[in-house]
Amino acid sequence: MSTTRQNLPGHLSIRGLTKRYEAMAAVDNLNLDVAKGELIAFLGPSGCGKSTSLRMIAGLVPASSGTISIGGRDVTKTPPYKRDIGLVFQSYALFPHMTVLKNVMFGLEMRRVPTADAERRAREAIALVRLEGKEERRPAQLSGGQQQRVALARALVIEPSILLFDEPLSNLDAKLRDEMRAEIRDIQKRLGITSIFVTHDQVEALSMCDKVAVLNGGRLEQLGTPQELYEQPATAFVASFVGRTNRLRGKAEGDRIDVAGMTIRAPGRHAGTVDIMIRPHRMAMRPILEKAAADVEPTNRIRGTIRHVYYSGDILQYEIEAAQQIMTVEQATASGGAPLAEGSDVELAWRVSDTLAFEVRQ
Amino acid sequence: MTAAAIMTAVPEKRPISAGALATLLLGPIAIVNGVAFVLPVFNLLMLSFREALSGGGLGEAFTLENWTGTVTDSYYLELIGQSISTSLFITFLTLICSYPIALYLHRSQGAWRTFLLVLVISPLLTSAVVRTYGWIAILADDGLINSILMYFGSENGIRLLFNKTGVVIGLTEILMPYMILALLAGFGRLDHRIEEAAETLGAPPWKVFWRIIVPLTMPGIALGCLLSFVLAISSFITPKLLGGGRVFLLATEIYDQAIVTLNWPLAATLSMIILVVFGAALVFYSRLLRAIS
Repeated sequence: MSTTRQNLPGHLSIRGLTKRYEAMAAVDNLNLDVAKGELIAFLGPSGCGKSTSLRMIAGLVPASSGTISIGGRDVTKTPPYKRDIGLVFQSYALFPHMTVLKNVMFGLEMRRVPTADAERRAREAIALVRLEGKEERRPAQLSGGQQQRVALARALVIEPSILLFDEPLSNLDAKLRDEMRAEIRDIQKRLGITSIFVTHDQVEALSMCDKVAVLNGGRLEQLGTPQELYEQPATAFVASFVGRTNRLRGKAEGDRIDVAGMTIRAPGRHAGTVDIMIRPHRMAMRPILEKAAADVEPTNRIRGTIRHVYYSGDILQYEIEAAQQIMTVEQATASGGAPLAEGSDVELAWRVSDTLAFEVRQ
Repeated sequence: MTAAAIMTAVPEKRPISAGALATLLLGPIAIVNGVAFVLPVFNLLMLSFREALSGGGLGEAFTLENWTGTVTDSYYLELIGQSISTSLFITFLTLICSYPIALYLHRSQGAWRTFLLVLVISPLLTSAVVRTYGWIAILADDGLINSILMYFGSENGIRLLFNKTGVVIGLTEILMPYMILALLAGFGRLDHRIEEAAETLGAPPWKVFWRIIVPLTMPGIALGCLLSFVLAISSFITPKLLGGGRVFLLATEIYDQAIVTLNWPLAATLSMIILVVFGAALVFYSRLLRAIS
């Protein structure tokens, strides 16, 4: 995993890609480079333009403006059947009238691969997704997870230059989803296919992909590694969409921010109205009477009152009223220690470096 | 009554068994069908074994003469063959004309779809006789098409009426609404995503059509063709009017034998032969359906 930015055009290169539906821009000036063999996620809420972007890359939706090139070849105007891409659909989209083997062979047949050769390669692909013995079944005779594996084999067997996934796991149950996630990642790495994975599930995006492109309202908010996205979110949207946060609004003057009469410090200098975000598990909490230890690092402290305690086995979640807001704090449970009681006054503390501040555009 | 009381009360009331319920529900239609269909067809079958006397009389004795006479007479054999081949051709033409319309209709949405559906069904609100007369106005020697042709310099125009061409054109149009509705009913498996999947796998549009769309719509095609074929081979008003007495098909022959010649036993025999053709078509259809699924 490399964090260095490449300025070289990638294997897949997208420049100024825009899709307009009448006045509304579904995708607005998207610029993106994906290096060969990289798995990149398009992450965003529904309607953010991630699926439309994917469909433009596949050629299923014409771009209003901008260019798409694959391996240095401009394919913006190329019809989908000449683009050399593999697409795995959310709904699997298997051919119901064909057996598993015929489904997987279809792409090879279209490429005029001799039948014997095509069958051998199709059987290999079916083995790769661990569906040996199911070659003669019809899609309707398979479970959802198996159907998605067939769809994956069908897209892989043609050895496409780009592999696209359109929310492929959202129709599967949680356990199967985890399994398929690992499997897709494994196969993608092994074959080294440049891939784009569209999802609205941040866990999926962060855990599977080399890089994540966060989209919102048709625009690219941030492109970075999962760690960059989480630790250094570029915008308030990214901070709130990737991982959970507590949000406080205040007035900033330099590195000091006034929130309901309390002063909070944040890295960098800010002015005007700012949103401050703190991750729930980056905050420490202790009863107010306890003597505070000397801080090694610059720390923000605010006082509050516990309103609710939620116990969920491995995690204790406190809802604390502080700075006229409800803040969430998470702690790992420990043996022996009883949770703090609701109603107790506490002090919240977190490192200044864990404070994310975003100026609010007005 | 409390919930507990209901729960204990239910088992005491003997529930009607599934078999009895089916009998009860199917009874009325079985009786209607028996009286209005099976019995007359049986009568017809018996009639085909009676001797035809001149002037429409019926002989008392049973005879096989109608049957042996029909199946050995080259005129009737040719008539049967022609009826089947013409009906098949009309069915094929109806399919070709209806398929694009049905496909477009299947893909359209909202008010536009409703409007188009009404447009497709509206011919059914007019009697086939009226529509046939409409075709006469269009196809006649001095009709719409020939007037246009002659305006553009054709010497005599083309003969479209009172021959097989007219019958084929008229019946095709008359059967199209049935075909479109049957096709639509069988388009359920069609899914745009599946077509897109084929496209991304490298299939150009015409291959998507032949390899994906046609196989997926096969149930609709089979149903539509069965319906069209049965309606085509049994229709007699349109062939009679557009054929002008010069196109001979089974249905028109039955009409002539029953109404004009008053040879009821022969008409009955020919009717039974059509029924056999229907039966064969149904067997073929069910075989096809089984092969598809």
